[in-house]
Amino acid sequence: MNEIKYSEEELVQFLRNKDQKAFSYLYDNYSAILNGTISRMVTDSGLAEDILQEAFLKIWNNFSSFDSSKGRLFTWMLNVTRNLTIDTLRSKGHKKQQLISSDENSVSNFADNSRLPEKYDSMGLKKQLQQLKPELRNLIELAYFQGFTQDEISKLTQLPLGTVKSRLRAAIIELRKLVE
Amino acid sequence: MNSNEIISSGILEQYVLGFTSPEENADIMRWAKQYPEVAIEIKAIQFAMEKFAQANAIEPDPSVKAKIFAKINEQNLLHQTAQTLPEMQSTPVVSMLRNWKWMAAASIIVLLVSATFNLVFFNKLTSVNDTLAITKQLLEKEQQHSNELKNDWDIVRDPNNVLVSLKGLETNPNATAKIFWFQQTGEVRIDASNLPLAPAGKQYQFWAIVDGKPVDGGLIITGESGTKYRMQKMKSFGKAEAFAISLEKAGGSTSPTVVVSIGKII
Repeated sequence: MNEIKYSEEELVQFLRNKDQKAFSYLYDNYSAILNGTISRMVTDSGLAEDILQEAFLKIWNNFSSFDSSKGRLFTWMLNVTRNLTIDTLRSKGHKKQQLISSDENSVSNFADNSRLPEKYDSMGLKKQLQQLKPELRNLIELAYFQGFTQDEISKLTQLPLGTVKSRLRAAIIELRKLVE
Repeated sequence: MNSNEIISSGILEQYVLGFTSPEENADIMRWAKQYPEVAIEIKAIQFAMEKFAQANAIEPDPSVKAKIFAKINEQNLLHQTAQTLPEMQSTPVVSMLRNWKWMAAASIIVLLVSATFNLVFFNKLTSVNDTLAITKQLLEKEQQHSNELKNDWDIVRDPNNVLVSLKGLETNPNATAKIFWFQQTGEVRIDASNLPLAPAGKQYQFWAIVDGKPVDGGLIITGESGTKYRMQKMKSFGKAEAFAISLEKAGGSTSPTVVVSIGKII
């Protein structure tokens, strides 16, 4: 693929200067992850593709709004993509209920997906994540990828809001132990 | 709050998940600048969430990248066109009447708008034309396929044909085929779709038994995928007592070596 490797600082610098080569590198390295994120929320593959295109155009056009002191580039890109997906779904009149009902299916669908890029060792990661308790994994899934608020999660799971908050934190702490 | 209290309060996890208010975000940003360990903690939480996302990566369709770059270049082009406007306005039309200036500016705007539309529609037209060409190709292929099937079907249901079923001999029980023989014209068609593929270097040859002797009827193709499923035209025979198929070296033989299938005309 790309012989050139950029550090995050270099990549950010090049992207600020609208360097298309750096953008190409960004796409090659992150499109599969962003696409995976979109595909968790959107079942229509045509729509998912449109959102991915739109997300990368946003990243390109609004790159000046990325502030590296606020966090990692990748997290910013994930947030741009996630928010765009949620906005698109809302504007298209999709109900959250649809998201809920497809939730369990979409999780299992991804488990047997065979088109994973090798560069992140997704299989290894997947195995690691399977050690995370399903109820904790589902909470992260709902909060981070499906765009539910903690209130909504509390209603969905019939857990008090405080429990949702503490479990989400516990989930992230567990996750960190697994991937660090 | 000191950095330990901040880290153990759980607010940083809330922040990374996107659940904090703008006011809280401002606090967190301030803390991150004040305490390096808070900034490190935020990045560590983000890193963990990224790993979660990475575990479910799915490669997008390969065409998406090209589409994105096409859009970016299209934007650049429009941007450049727009930038030329101020320069053009500053050309010395100064001595002319005020109206002229307005008209010139207006005409430039009209030109610009029109150029933009041209570009947009040209791009659309090109992509529509491409799609049309692909659809046409597909349609032609389908039509050809359907004509072939119709021709085959016409042969099968022709009332003048004599159907001869060739049965596989004991050594090759699977080597069956159907012959459609038109006695008036002598034309012979074979449906060889049930013949097993000929082994490498070998070919099936068709024979008519005329006056007790085998007469060459041509080679049967089973090699290339698809072709054997079509009705094949063999050599014509005015009279015959039986038809047979033998397995020969590629290119055929003058007399049958291993007969695999035979059928008598009743």
